[in-house]
Amino acid sequence: MKIHQYNMPDDLSYEENHFWVKEEGDLIVMGMDDFAQVMAGEIVYVQLPDEGKRIKLGKKFAKVESGKWLGKVFGPVNGELVAVNEELETNPGLINDDCYGKGWMYKIKPDDPGEVANLIRGPEAVEKWVLADIEKYAE
Amino acid sequence: MEDHIKQDLIAIVGEENYTDSLMDMVSYSYDASEHRHRPSCGVCPQTAEQVSHVLQLANREHVPVIPRGAGTGLSGMAVPAQGGIVLDLSRMNRIVKISIEDRLAVVEPGVVYETLERALEPHGFFFPPDPASGPVCTLGGNVATNAGGVKGAKYGTTRDYVLGLQVVLADGRIMRTGSRAMKSVSGYDLTRLFVGSEGTLGVVTEIILKINPKPTLTSTGMGTFDDLEDAGKAVSQIMHSGILPSVLEILGRETLRAINQNTDLHLPEVDAMLLAETDGYTQEETNFQMAKVLEVFRMNHAREVKQAESEAEAADLWKARKSAYAVLARIQTHFVLEDVTVPMGNVAELLKGVAAISKKHNLQIATYGHAGDGNLHPQILYDGYDPDQVERREAASADLFQLAVDLDGTLTGEHGIGLSKAPYMTLEHDPVAMDVMRSLKKTLDPNNILNPGKMALEG
Amino acid sequence: MKSKYEFEAKYREQILQCSKCGFCQAVCPVYGSTLRPAYNARGKMLLLKEVMDGHIELNDELIETLFQCTTCASCFENCPSGVNVPEIIKEVRKDMVNIGSCHPAFTGMNEVLQKHTNIYAEDEPEDFERERNKKAEYVFFIGCVGSYREDEPALAVLDLLDRLEVDYTLIDEVCCSGVLEDVGFQINENLSRQNIERILATGARGVITSCPYCFRTFSNKPQYAELGEKGVRIMHVTQFLKDFDFGVKTDKRVTYHDPCDLGRHCGIYEEPRQIIRGIAPDFVEMRHHHAEALCCGAGGGVRGAYPKNSIAMARRRLQEVEEVGAEVVLTECNSCVHNLSNAKLRKQKFRIYNTTQFINELMEDAE
Repeated sequence: MKIHQYNMPDDLSYEENHFWVKEEGDLIVMGMDDFAQVMAGEIVYVQLPDEGKRIKLGKKFAKVESGKWLGKVFGPVNGELVAVNEELETNPGLINDDCYGKGWMYKIKPDDPGEVANLIRGPEAVEKWVLADIEKYAE
Repeated sequence: MEDHIKQDLIAIVGEENYTDSLMDMVSYSYDASEHRHRPSCGVCPQTAEQVSHVLQLANREHVPVIPRGAGTGLSGMAVPAQGGIVLDLSRMNRIVKISIEDRLAVVEPGVVYETLERALEPHGFFFPPDPASGPVCTLGGNVATNAGGVKGAKYGTTRDYVLGLQVVLADGRIMRTGSRAMKSVSGYDLTRLFVGSEGTLGVVTEIILKINPKPTLTSTGMGTFDDLEDAGKAVSQIMHSGILPSVLEILGRETLRAINQNTDLHLPEVDAMLLAETDGYTQEETNFQMAKVLEVFRMNHAREVKQAESEAEAADLWKARKSAYAVLARIQTHFVLEDVTVPMGNVAELLKGVAAISKKHNLQIATYGHAGDGNLHPQILYDGYDPDQVERREAASADLFQLAVDLDGTLTGEHGIGLSKAPYMTLEHDPVAMDVMRSLKKTLDPNNILNPGKMALEG
Repeated sequence: MKSKYEFEAKYREQILQCSKCGFCQAVCPVYGSTLRPAYNARGKMLLLKEVMDGHIELNDELIETLFQCTTCASCFENCPSGVNVPEIIKEVRKDMVNIGSCHPAFTGMNEVLQKHTNIYAEDEPEDFERERNKKAEYVFFIGCVGSYREDEPALAVLDLLDRLEVDYTLIDEVCCSGVLEDVGFQINENLSRQNIERILATGARGVITSCPYCFRTFSNKPQYAELGEKGVRIMHVTQFLKDFDFGVKTDKRVTYHDPCDLGRHCGIYEEPRQIIRGIAPDFVEMRHHHAEALCCGAGGGVRGAYPKNSIAMARRRLQEVEEVGAEVVLTECNSCVHNLSNAKLRKQKFRIYNTTQFINELMEDAE
């Protein structure tokens, strides 16, 4: 759905720091959501850790930068990093162009697939969360 | 630039390879000469096909096209004297192929000379003409001006190494000249027509260069001369020594003095210093050759003759020669670097003549250059904001060209005619030769879109 | 005739001395990664000549080139005519700001520093788990990049100093604001006052920093002269550590990247190498080193204003690391580490560290 000018698809789950999460078989895929990519501006660097890295729920495992902003990427679940979008190495702007599609960032194999349920999901919850953040960052 | 032409150009090269922004237009107005003129736009083609389409468009619309490499030419070849489209080839810069067995390298015109040199080094090969602007100039530019350099005496110039070209003509047709074979006499030698044509007959989009194995060792030596004429004679008599030094450079008194004033090299202030280098594969060989060279120096009353005993000493000797341009560039607000060239036997006369011209016009003229192939670089220093000095400088250059021609020489050994020397073409070339040049130009570029206004081709 | 612009009043002669030879194209990192003559030193001097001739005015159209220069001084280093392009560029940027023509990243930066303590407008620096504002022999000044963008190298140098039992304290630092001078503005005296007061309050006899930029600012800018006057010595961490015996070694092939602000601008080439040679027997130089070192692309505000080109420049520098087969590239500048790390490709297996960070890791491994 659209909240103000931000596109937040209904079929995705969201991590509170504005990363979307989608289930894909026994993996999850994640990337930046529209709100974050608009706020950040043109992404110039995406850290792409090695496959096999341990991901811990709520712990930073990578960083993202635009010209003026440094963002931390937090683990949405406990698990293992199994793939990264290598296109982002030389074309980080894909996140701005197509944050839900070509701009996907990481694929994780969760230890416990059930953990995804703890993320923000469903139109009501998403709307509440985004509106709150829009107000918080309005300056 | 008219909008429909702009849109067509963008369609050919892509938006990111078209520019008409102020800052680019200013850059493209200049090369390393004293000339300037704004173009209407600049395009950076990536392929011969794109170049072809650009030329077809320009030919149809009668818009000048000025090919450009690094823009370090000294005579205004790359200055868009009649406006138009600057064809910036610096992004067509792939080394397409190096074949040691075939003894050749195939390059796009935007490849920087030093980049090729570095790519050939691991193979023990080199592309001998060694222009001073090697770290920045492009091979396309070298071909356009038949660039020379310090190795000219033994190794010749760019022309001697171009086996073949891919050229786009004014009407957009693409052709190849020459052969990948090391020699060919099949049909007219079109390659040689285009080499040195300064972008007036076609745009070079690929170059097949002959490369040489690089001698691994050198010997370096020098001689100082109290009398300019002795130095000149020494240069002329090198040929009698039976060997060709790989480098034979001269530094005149004015140059030596200027270097001393601006560095702590403490060079002897004599009429002339000759710097020589011999190359080969064993030190015995290079030393044997150097001994012959130094013998010629001695026979011509050299005051001091020295051979470098170590690499560090050799580097010191070279430092003087390499600092000449920079040191002289700082003395006055402006300078012009000429490159008159005469047969070796007339080098002494040329040196004397330069000194006389300097006196006549009351201008500081420091001379250095490639004595080894008779190519001197008198650098005329002057205050460009003093109209009187500007006039005297122009007169001095004119006298210099006349002198060179009188000594059976040429206006330019390696820098090219461009704009700077165009008014003097008729000093050197008889009317029939000029007519033939103009006819060729008309045949290949009837609408005069390729670098118009250069080389006195417009009658 | 009175010059319309300050840059002309100060540098007219030098600008005219440019003979347009174009040799700067061989060394300019912005030109090298874009091949656009307008960005090159010569291109900038040609524009300024036309401004001085009255052919064009300083205006917004020139922002893209006049504010895109890392001030690395490679051009100046190589210029046969001795034209000090970076100084001229810094001056013309001030003229541009005066007429209201400035890159938004820099007007933004100036505004940010009116209200915040750092160039990133961040509120919380890394903790570094250390006390600030104690009494100590030395103040260690981290700088904005270390505090907010590259906390790992910053933490490592502090760990190292602890291992060496150096008596130092952190302070509640604010941005040295030296960068403002380079992008058309002035040092923020509110901020410089705070730094001076807090440094003096510690009673320290020296300030050590890992940031070459802060080092230059404290050492050279009149706003910080009081430090020198009060006998406080300013040192870059490599100067401070050059004679220490760390007692660790690596057998990895190591190379060193000279930060422009430490090398060409301060002449500090040997102290870092002295330290490295002590710990890395297999030390090699890259193709361009010492005064010829290639700029990483971050300086002069370029990383903030033109991040993509900035990273492209860093990528070029990293090719030279690959060329010499180094497994480790060391430097001592958080900004270089930041930009080079961002530019490193996954397939490039070498690692990038500040020297102090690397030594700390070796010492940690040895335990």
